Amino acid sequence: MKRSGPLYTLLGGLLLALFMLSLNATTGEGNSSYGNDSPGAASPAPSSAKPTGSTPAPTKSPSERASESPSQSPSKRPAGKSEYAGRTADDAAAVSVSIRDDKAIAYYCNGRDAESWLKGDVEDDGSMRLTGKNGAKLDATLADNAVRGKVEINEQPRDFTAARAKKPSGLYRATTEVRGAEIDGGWIVLPDGRQVGILKADGKPRPAPRLDPETGAVPYDGGELTARPVVP
Amino acid sequence: MSVDPNAATQGGFGPPPGAGEHRRPHPARYLVPALVASAVAVGLGVYGKSHDPAGTAFNLAGFSSTSAVKAWLGTTAFAFALLQIVSALMVYGRLPGPSWASVLHRWSGRIAFLVSVPVAVHCLYALGYQTYSTRVMWHSLLGCFFFGAFSAKMLLLRSEKLPGWLLPVVGGLVFVVLTVVWWTSALWFFRTFGVTT
Repeated sequence: MKRSGPLYTLLGGLLLALFMLSLNATTGEGNSSYGNDSPGAASPAPSSAKPTGSTPAPTKSPSERASESPSQSPSKRPAGKSEYAGRTADDAAAVSVSIRDDKAIAYYCNGRDAESWLKGDVEDDGSMRLTGKNGAKLDATLADNAVRGKVEINEQPRDFTAARAKKPSGLYRATTEVRGAEIDGGWIVLPDGRQVGILKADGKPRPAPRLDPETGAVPYDGGELTARPVVP
Repeated sequence: MSVDPNAATQGGFGPPPGAGEHRRPHPARYLVPALVASAVAVGLGVYGKSHDPAGTAFNLAGFSSTSAVKAWLGTTAFAFALLQIVSALMVYGRLPGPSWASVLHRWSGRIAFLVSVPVAVHCLYALGYQTYSTRVMWHSLLGCFFFGAFSAKMLLLRSEKLPGWLLPVVGGLVFVVLTVVWWTSALWFFRTFGVTT
């Protein structure tokens, strides 16, 4: 006599797997959540919930700008290019800022589903107010070789500190098209070598594969993408 | 003859006829489970590697994310797997146990397996077989291996004339692999994002 219990167990697992697969295949993206989840955040607002109106330009008014005459104090802003990378105070996400002269571009990324590209101007005193889509904001100051401030994504303000990053750490982006799908990936390589990144294929975010910071090569879908350092 | 896995502690199933004899088992008794196990493990890996990860799958109510659901389901499976070890020791008489230890072993194993299935489905469907970090590489590899090893264990259970050490070894392997799979996913998740639902 052969016992059939174990066979039923296997069969049950197989049926359950097929059932789940068919659910997945038929549900589509409507109530899918992998893309929107963010367990690291305390209570993330769904990114789709708030299509905010366009945010006004972040630069200060001309009069404000004029009052800060460059001759008043030596500029805290290093001339040329510099990059900064760090994490939010609650460790939920990484933040990187890339600065060239008076322009800055920043990337906020939790490595799974929430990300934002922000840009704006850097004042002579090292302060910056960057903005991105869906009301994303970053207010920070560059001083002592670090950018410190507050970043607000999905209406969640978080403090962050990003220290000066030397290659190969820093900010990388890859935008391309693979088999008809729009690919947009962003990576923050932290000074300790860890990476935080998201790769979006046709707008669907997921954790990005590891990037080779030396070459910018990213394995993707059997092939390779190339990510490039981000410069404003 | 070492311990007979089919011998229930008290009551339960009696030992099947011939279980105590030391006859050479037919090679198919090993080969079929081994082949099925390889097919399952390789099949899962190939599926995970070849299809485009969907990135999405449905979620359960009450959880912030599918990652959290998976972490908790995986932890549930791991808890039942611990119960597997204890109940197996009872079945083999290494621990004092109740007469229903074998029933406990059977059903805790079933629950652990069934709970792990949705996790694996999500992994393979939404994320695929990935190797971009050491943790992910081991998780992908051993995740596929686990279901192969589990299939082998189930099929070996059906054979009666096996060396006594075989089932405990395969069962132990299944447990160790599940532990590593859990370690590289759920435990990593809880340590990275906190014990969250």
